[in-house]
Amino acid sequence: MNLQQTQWHNATLWMVRKKRDNLAMQIPEWEELRRLASQIKMHTLSHLDRYLVQFTDNAEANGAIVHWAKDADEHNAIVLDILNRHKARKLVKSKSMLTEECHLNPFLEANGIEVVESDLGERILQLMHAAPSHIVMPAIHLKRQEVGKLFEDKLHTEKDNSDPTYLTRAARQHLRNEFLTADASMTGANFAVADTGEIVVCTNEGNADMGTSFAPLHIVSVGIEKMAPNHSALGVFTRLLARSATGQPSTTYTSHYRKPRQGCEMHIVLVDNGRSKTLGNEAHQQALKCIRCGACMNTCPVYRRKGGYAYSYFIPGPIGINLGMLKSPKKYANNVSACSLCYSCNQVCPVQVDLADQIYSWRQQLDSIGKANKIKKIISTGLTCLFTRPRLYNNILKLAPVINHIPRFLIYNRLNGWGKGREMPPFAKESFTQMWKKGKVKK
Amino acid sequence: MSSKDEILAAIRRNIKTTYDLPEIKPEGDGYTDKIKQFTEVSRSVAANVVVLQEGEDLNQCIRALYPEAATVASNLPEITIQTIDPDKVETPHQLNGTMLGIVKGEFGVAENGCVWIPQNVKEKAVYFISEYLVILLNKTNIVNNMHEAYEKLHTYDYGFGVFISGPSKTADIEQALVVGAHGAKGVTTILI
Ligand code: SF4
Repeated sequence: MNLQQTQWHNATLWMVRKKRDNLAMQIPEWEELRRLASQIKMHTLSHLDRYLVQFTDNAEANGAIVHWAKDADEHNAIVLDILNRHKARKLVKSKSMLTEECHLNPFLEANGIEVVESDLGERILQLMHAAPSHIVMPAIHLKRQEVGKLFEDKLHTEKDNSDPTYLTRAARQHLRNEFLTADASMTGANFAVADTGEIVVCTNEGNADMGTSFAPLHIVSVGIEKMAPNHSALGVFTRLLARSATGQPSTTYTSHYRKPRQGCEMHIVLVDNGRSKTLGNEAHQQALKCIRCGACMNTCPVYRRKGGYAYSYFIPGPIGINLGMLKSPKKYANNVSACSLCYSCNQVCPVQVDLADQIYSWRQQLDSIGKANKIKKIISTGLTCLFTRPRLYNNILKLAPVINHIPRFLIYNRLNGWGKGREMPPFAKESFTQMWKKGKVKK
Repeated sequence: MSSKDEILAAIRRNIKTTYDLPEIKPEGDGYTDKIKQFTEVSRSVAANVVVLQEGEDLNQCIRALYPEAATVASNLPEITIQTIDPDKVETPHQLNGTMLGIVKGEFGVAENGCVWIPQNVKEKAVYFISEYLVILLNKTNIVNNMHEAYEKLHTYDYGFGVFISGPSKTADIEQALVVGAHGAKGVTTILI
């Protein structure tokens, strides 16, 4: 992102964060709700076997067909098999981070299935062959002109018209046709309710509902951590979700799928893909509480300035750093430095995931997974040596102002990450200790 | 071993500490005027709320709100201006082109402007494909918040049900709010 984009991105996400604050403050018992949500999640996760069995029994009694997938490959194979049995060629999808995680779309396409994303942001990215940069606002990094150009090319909209309403209407027209002609629809799930066997999907656009209203087949992909025990738990989660995500009192649609549509089939695929292993990791299991609201991204000073593509895992921001490390510490260790430990994420998370603590803990483990940064190691060994020798420290500090007169190339080099893209502040002429001793510091 | 058994075994192996389910009774005052709160929050999310006045004719009221709606879908006995019955269509696709859908909501939620609609037509498509949607709601059926809403939900038997709060919307292009994404472009709740 260039400077202008960075400033826009930063300001826009901060606006969303402020909307979230306003909506949260309307509820006096907000903090109590966060605590309850966290406790419900910890309870559900620590009885997950029981709830999954209960959910499955109830969903089957409702007439749904439940599948279990150990990993992404098994999930993708199950979905393809269902589609093939129905001779379905076109699948219309609503937003699902789980299917991103499983790389479902390229797999289906390679097997001759036409996949149509129906969330506006996701559809834009699909037409661009790009990945989402945010889990709730997938195309937040794009400017309207870029979307206008894309639609001109793909949907034959007017030249140079990048009015958001005009472009949204064009997409509405285009996707309506897809909804009406799809052979199958697919949704994710925000919650799966154990004691009723139903799936709850929250959207603003109504795309999940349009998809499931026409196609004779509905496939739901759901991570096993999405279980909720009962309706009273949903009362807590639904009060928190939209307020935290976009600063709305509720999503426009909160849809409850209990039975297949008359004459249609509903398949639910329960996916593990590493989640059961995370359960056994007590230092990091809280990442499983996440309800994917995106609030930790909107508030994160690093995410706001760097954008989603700066992270190597497909989920960015504080939660993405942690989920990436749980997936593969070796592969995604570089993300743990994208955190200033300001702890803002911990404060906004509606289910109280201890995001910053987990990132800190991963940093402590970097050495043991062979991913510690060599330069930082040299510096920190040096600093330890310095801090444990006060005389040496004070003598060196007296020399600090000398740096103000040192040639630039000696200061702005590879060892000094702070000098990259910014000017170093000049060192003060006197150290705090010197000033203190001379009585220059007023209490 | 099936995948189901393997996953369940892995979960059982990995759970080390268990936690109790908390009692879910959050403190919170109810609204003194639930209709007022429901109306205000609905308007803040671009929905329209109209109170049917004593002696006012429902069908005339809807006509006045949507004078140009040529195709009107409804299965409600009190509605006389409908041109399509969503219970009688052979496929949901026949509802494409519906200008106005008129449906019945069971209860509203004061805190967030949601209206609960358990599927009460043959094709649920009518809730989403209609360009504009009118929801009829008994004004004495408004609960305070989602806790009360879910307590009430228990009493309904539904295959599909949805909370709707206002028209469909998106802000996916530059966070600019656009009302009317895939679902209704406008929603009016008529309190009766
Ligand atoms: S970790 Fe918390 S704040 Fe971040 S996306 Fe998940 S639920 Fe939202």
